[in-house]
Amino acid sequence: MFENFLIRSDSLRNEVRDGKTVGFTLAVRHANYRGCYLSLHNGYYVEVDGTQYATDRQTFEINGQAPRSFDEIRTAVHEHWNYDDEAVLHVEAPGGLAPGEHTLRFQQSVLAAYGYLPTDEEWVKNPPTPGSGAGSDKTPEIVAYRLTLTEPEKN
Amino acid sequence: MTIQRGVSLYSYQQSQFLKELMLEDQIREVGRNLGGADGIELIDEMSLRYPDPGDDFRRQWFAWMEAYGTKPVAMDVGMDVLQFRDHVMTHEECADRLRQDIRLAKSLGFANVRVLSVVPVDILVSALPLAEQLDIRLGKEIHQPMRLEGREVGDILDVIERTGTRHLGIVPDLGIFQFRPSEVLLSWLERRGAQPTASLASVDLALAIHRGESPFDLTAVHRHTAGNLRSDLGRFLTTGESAPELLDVFEGVKRYTDERVTDPEAIDYRTVAEALMLSRTSAETLRQIAPHVIHVHGKFNNMSEVPGAPGRYQEISIDYDAAIGALKAGGFDGYINSEYEGQRYFQDRGREDLMDEVDQVRRHQELLRRLIAA
Repeated sequence: MFENFLIRSDSLRNEVRDGKTVGFTLAVRHANYRGCYLSLHNGYYVEVDGTQYATDRQTFEINGQAPRSFDEIRTAVHEHWNYDDEAVLHVEAPGGLAPGEHTLRFQQSVLAAYGYLPTDEEWVKNPPTPGSGAGSDKTPEIVAYRLTLTEPEKN
Repeated sequence: MTIQRGVSLYSYQQSQFLKELMLEDQIREVGRNLGGADGIELIDEMSLRYPDPGDDFRRQWFAWMEAYGTKPVAMDVGMDVLQFRDHVMTHEECADRLRQDIRLAKSLGFANVRVLSVVPVDILVSALPLAEQLDIRLGKEIHQPMRLEGREVGDILDVIERTGTRHLGIVPDLGIFQFRPSEVLLSWLERRGAQPTASLASVDLALAIHRGESPFDLTAVHRHTAGNLRSDLGRFLTTGESAPELLDVFEGVKRYTDERVTDPEAIDYRTVAEALMLSRTSAETLRQIAPHVIHVHGKFNNMSEVPGAPGRYQEISIDYDAAIGALKAGGFDGYINSEYEGQRYFQDRGREDLMDEVDQVRRHQELLRRLIAA
């Protein structure tokens, strides 16, 4: 669902902290017709121009809080990510991305489902790796985007 | 007995995602532009700041209901059993979540709470005392490829018989009366590489099954969900293996495709196999259980104009005549809510090619109005 609309098209920008470009950010939405408890959020498959950025290099900014790692996000068991709300995905990539156009391959993994599934016990012990399609029931294929880098906001 | 019309705001999911229609706009559309429809159904985690939208919102909500002449008919609730991440929720934890949702529904004036088709019946039994106390009716959805003839309905009827409760029943999703794959799903599959001959074969196979002329035995299919069937078919196509009881069916689909499609690939088999995902439930069963129907999801994937009849609309893949006829014959007293789902089959395209949900729902309401009055 919403294949072509999961990333805001003007949202790819480098992230500058203390004068250093530490990575890049993307504004993202739910790949579903509803929100869910934030804890269910399991990270992203993100690949830019052939380079993949694993979940341990990603942090997630939602609900007015500073970016959190996905290890922290999974403990947000009473916090909800609402359907209407855009979140910002921060990706650690020292030096950032080059100016111009980039090819992103992208998939969201959220362990939300219709009730009990055969994979439940396994996913408690070993959550699926984003990009496998698991935990992406409404948008099970990786989606490719062509996005142009926007100048970072001045701090 | 009266059948009333409403809309599940699920129908406007894309307009909300794109911020074209927010909640008040959706309610205004239902109250003002649908010729007497007044029922509002919504999904708590789509339409509300969940789990507590706050008292200011509640005041606003009731003001909207009054301003637009609408009624809160049903709130649809989910069940995400991995919420706590360190364990799978027990049935009692799921019942706690349901009780929380029942209280939320009551606070917004809803009469009914719809639970998912897959919710085990003991969870409903556990939450039933609160539902009775708050005068909220719990309805279990029956959704394609389930059938009304299965255990899911039987379990609910057993509880009703045992307890005499008036607060438990069924929410049929009219997708269970689908008899051929939707034309918009087939177009979406073709954009993914399916051959047009595979679409034709899928429709032919579905219609043959509908006439009772299935080329292979489908008994095993109804014990599986559509998702499981699709993933097992994928496994069969790559490894030749599947759940043993499905092997004959998958081999049948493969043979059927091979005879009709040149050099078929996986996407072609998958397209033809969509003919298996339909419920083929009986309208007579719906007539019999109509007194236990809480409300109805008027599912549709595409409303097209009836050829030669401007202003009249049809859903060519779902037998609406049979479904509404059965509800009327069975004395159903309640709401049929439009539930548009076909917008997702256009979201692989550009914004200019997206479907107009408002127009699709208006067309569907024309169909409902006509069939209810017939």
